[in-house]
Amino acid sequence: MAKAKDALLDPLFNNNPIALQILGICSALAVTNKMSTALTMTVAVILVTACSNAAISAIRNHIPNSIRIIVQMTIIATLVIIIDQMLKAYLYEMSKALSVYVGLIITNCIVMGRAEAYAMKNPVGLSLLDGIGNGLGYGAVLLAVGFVRELFGSGKLFGFTILNTVNDGGWYVTNGLMLLAPSAFFLIGFIIWGLRTWKPELQE
Amino acid sequence: MSNDSIFKTFLVAFLLCVVCSVLVCLAAIVRIDKEAYNKQLEIRKTVLAAGGYQQLIDDGGNIDELFTANVELKLVDLATGEYTTAVDVATYDQKEAASKPESSVKIPADLDLASIGSRAKYAAIYVDKKGATILPIRGAGMWGPMYGYIAIAADGTTVNGFTFYQHAETPGLGAEVDNPNWKKQWTGKQVFKSSGALALKVVKKGKYKADAADAVNTVDGIAGSTVTGDKVHGIIRYWFGEHGFAPFLAKLKAERG
Repeated sequence: MAKAKDALLDPLFNNNPIALQILGICSALAVTNKMSTALTMTVAVILVTACSNAAISAIRNHIPNSIRIIVQMTIIATLVIIIDQMLKAYLYEMSKALSVYVGLIITNCIVMGRAEAYAMKNPVGLSLLDGIGNGLGYGAVLLAVGFVRELFGSGKLFGFTILNTVNDGGWYVTNGLMLLAPSAFFLIGFIIWGLRTWKPELQE
Repeated sequence: MSNDSIFKTFLVAFLLCVVCSVLVCLAAIVRIDKEAYNKQLEIRKTVLAAGGYQQLIDDGGNIDELFTANVELKLVDLATGEYTTAVDVATYDQKEAASKPESSVKIPADLDLASIGSRAKYAAIYVDKKGATILPIRGAGMWGPMYGYIAIAADGTTVNGFTFYQHAETPGLGAEVDNPNWKKQWTGKQVFKSSGALALKVVKKGKYKADAADAVNTVDGIAGSTVTGDKVHGIIRYWFGEHGFAPFLAKLKAERG
């Protein structure tokens, strides 16, 4: 039980893929200017890491060592394509907003990293939890960054106006920097700083 | 059997390929079905929004029903400004036509204000019951192509509405072209002066003066997105120029007296 809990919750704070392992930064910069895109991306990544971890773990004893990376990539790519196609079919607007970044989950180091480091060595149940946990850890940072960027960049959250902006005849002057990718770098930097101050044992 | 034997390696690779390709195919079948409809729905929504039917959409009207009830698709030969039936309008794909040499026209560099290189010979436009026309426009934006519709009233010069349905402008800055408050100011603007000269323009944010003589021809830009404003200005100047819809609109105006 303790092991299952660790597999699920460790990636949230103690071993967060973005804040500790600095993986998956590219998409974290690209899709966080709105909460809605960050949330969809989070769900997509959780699904991919969970399913790929479970699938790879299920056949781990039959994967020939010489082609194991290709086998992992093929499984991950299949899952990502299915999710991408489903978004295009059922959430068309959202798939346009996320554009290429859903497809790029294939190259997201978190998915591949967990497959190689965890799913190849652990049973299906634990691997599934580890996948969900890492997806959540990634998503937690994404949503935190998205929250700050959308609120201060557009004065909105999930598209609903929170701060009435000047463009709409209100008082809030939007912070243009928040809408550009570099602002996510600063915010992730602050998150890493905060996390390592809160948990000094994470410092290297 | 050892996992690393050649036979097992091939077997695993083969089985994996079969399973994965079946899954991907199934997903693609579902998507292709839905996507064509999604794209059509989006264009219809834009046409209706540009044409001034946004209120009916907001009231929960069915887009397909509103569309078939209110607008009719027609083909215009841009060079002459006449309606044409040279190709079947129902199956005409203007985007595709623009990319093929036999169905497009190269735009001379000095006229190419929208930076599109070439345009289709025929434009698929929508005409609504009140005689207003809803015209497709496109051009290069800051990060990628912009596609939209602009609706012109039956007088051939008054803008009824303006909307992009596809663009890649910076969210919060250039993407404010989607802001209803910004789009609203287009309504009522005059594309041409009474002399017939093209006058509609997009200026840098803040340069717009409501009491200026040309205020009726001027659209205020967007704060923080001068480039997008310039691009939209170029798109408007091209598509309402002599190479764009000007001959068609002039004819329209002449016919209606």
